[in-house]
Amino acid sequence: MDKKLIFHGRVWYFGEDVIDTDQILPGYAMTCEREQLKDYALAGSKIPDFAKKVQPGDIIVAGKNFGAGSSREQAPVALQSSGVGAVVAVSFARIFRRNAINIGLPVLYADLIGLVKSGDEITVDFNTGEITLPDGRTVAGQQPGESVRSILAAGGLIPKVRQQLQRKGGEAK
Amino acid sequence: MNEIERYLAKAANKDTVRVGEDITIRVDTVAAHDVTAPMAIHQFADIETDKVFDPNKVMLVLDHVFPAPTVQARKNHCQMAAFAKQYGVRYFGKGEGVIHQLLAEKGNLARGSVLVAADSHTCTAGAYGVLAFGVGSTEAAAAMATGTLDIEVPPVQLIQLDGVLQPGVYAKDIVLYLVGKFGTDGFTDQGIIFAGSWVKNATLAEKMTISNMTIEMGAMLSYFSELDDVGPVALTHRFDVSTFVPVAACPHSPGNVKPLSEVAGTPITQVVVGSCTNGRLSDMRDVAAVFAKARVHPEVTCVVVPASAEVADAMDKEGLTKIIRDAGATVTNPGCGPCYGGHMGLVSSTDTVASTTNRNFSGRMGATDAKVYLVSPRAAAEAAVAGTLVVPGTIMPLEGE
Repeated sequence: MDKKLIFHGRVWYFGEDVIDTDQILPGYAMTCEREQLKDYALAGSKIPDFAKKVQPGDIIVAGKNFGAGSSREQAPVALQSSGVGAVVAVSFARIFRRNAINIGLPVLYADLIGLVKSGDEITVDFNTGEITLPDGRTVAGQQPGESVRSILAAGGLIPKVRQQLQRKGGEAK
Repeated sequence: MNEIERYLAKAANKDTVRVGEDITIRVDTVAAHDVTAPMAIHQFADIETDKVFDPNKVMLVLDHVFPAPTVQARKNHCQMAAFAKQYGVRYFGKGEGVIHQLLAEKGNLARGSVLVAADSHTCTAGAYGVLAFGVGSTEAAAAMATGTLDIEVPPVQLIQLDGVLQPGVYAKDIVLYLVGKFGTDGFTDQGIIFAGSWVKNATLAEKMTISNMTIEMGAMLSYFSELDDVGPVALTHRFDVSTFVPVAACPHSPGNVKPLSEVAGTPITQVVVGSCTNGRLSDMRDVAAVFAKARVHPEVTCVVVPASAEVADAMDKEGLTKIIRDAGATVTNPGCGPCYGGHMGLVSSTDTVASTTNRNFSGRMGATDAKVYLVSPRAAAEAAVAGTLVVPGTIMPLEGE
């Protein structure tokens, strides 16, 4: 059990709508400096002032196909740097999901539609995939695979690749 | 094994692979553009390596925001040029065109090779039988350093397309129909093989248009086969394309697809022709065939964006550029243009757009309330003349009718 993979936070509930990448980080904001991306988190969504209201550790709860569309990694970076601690959705678009994990933003498959509302506090355990609701009930999400947990535990793909290449370099010498 | 699995096994240096297995495959080409490369360069620096896996197999392209409309975009371009110089990678920094079109023109795309590019429409290269993976910046940086990609072997479904298209129905209508039928997450984390008699006779441009939009169904891989037997697949879907009609993806999802006849009459204020979906020479010929005989409606702005300099050159040689300009449209420099709302034709909340591009999400081309309909180039050109959506053939007779 890795305690770094347990997240407790306040819910932002987006319901059943598909949240595509243009809602998460609109095209006009894609070329801005990395440090500014946080100001545009979910600027294209139905909560355009999300970036002003989000608190560190908050958890996004959404429906199907979260992150549909673009490969822009600016989308998960914007969420992460705005303070979002984790995303729980019924399903994810592939490239968004991999981008999020690669930068160390935990995303979990679970159906919380109708079970939570914005402002609720929940606990998400990425070791088991289990979510604890405010009333103590638990919901089983999909337990992340070993490769996902190892990337998250390493703090993202880059530290993992760095270690790999250094090991390889060490062997060559 | 099916065709995708056979090539994955080869790239993984294994005899066989099975669905769900985690494998590491060697990569033949890694590419990124001016929206994704700056972040990839940032991540690459963090890997602390002194070289890319093979400079001749790494391509950086300025296409999304070139020439730079903002100071920041220019800073990103300069950073890419410096990286290209330092590591000796292939650099396309003169507005040569959209990354996916350049990969087709200059990327040595070979059947069964592996392409990793930091853009979701990397799947376009599936038209060439390339295993083309769209990734984000971090994964592209990792692939630049290692020359490998970690993936799980996907379940694969076959889409069999037989028959002959009716006049006025195009490859774009086929793929829009498929996105409508299967939904925007219909093939998430899965591979699609395209085969059938229509595929056998299709042009590369047609196959690229279809392959391009497989990401709009969430697909991990799209692969166009030349074989009669592609091997065992999880599911087979058969379609007779001669029954297909002209369609439009309506606001605000590529999956919200309706026959054009149902939305004909919808007033249009802007038309966009271009992108990695429909910015090739054959598309421009379709558009010029309309504009040779009719002018753009007085209340419509029409922006035409060649997918590459090579396409623009061919348009000039065939006289298409002049025909399109004389009809009252603007022909811009090659690139992504207004497709993703970056520059050269953003729209306001009162606009309704007919576009040959690939996404019509809310806010995609500018204001969140702007409405975007995705259609074929012929339908877009006729909409530009009519000032409303129309079924192709309304403004002038179609060839072959």
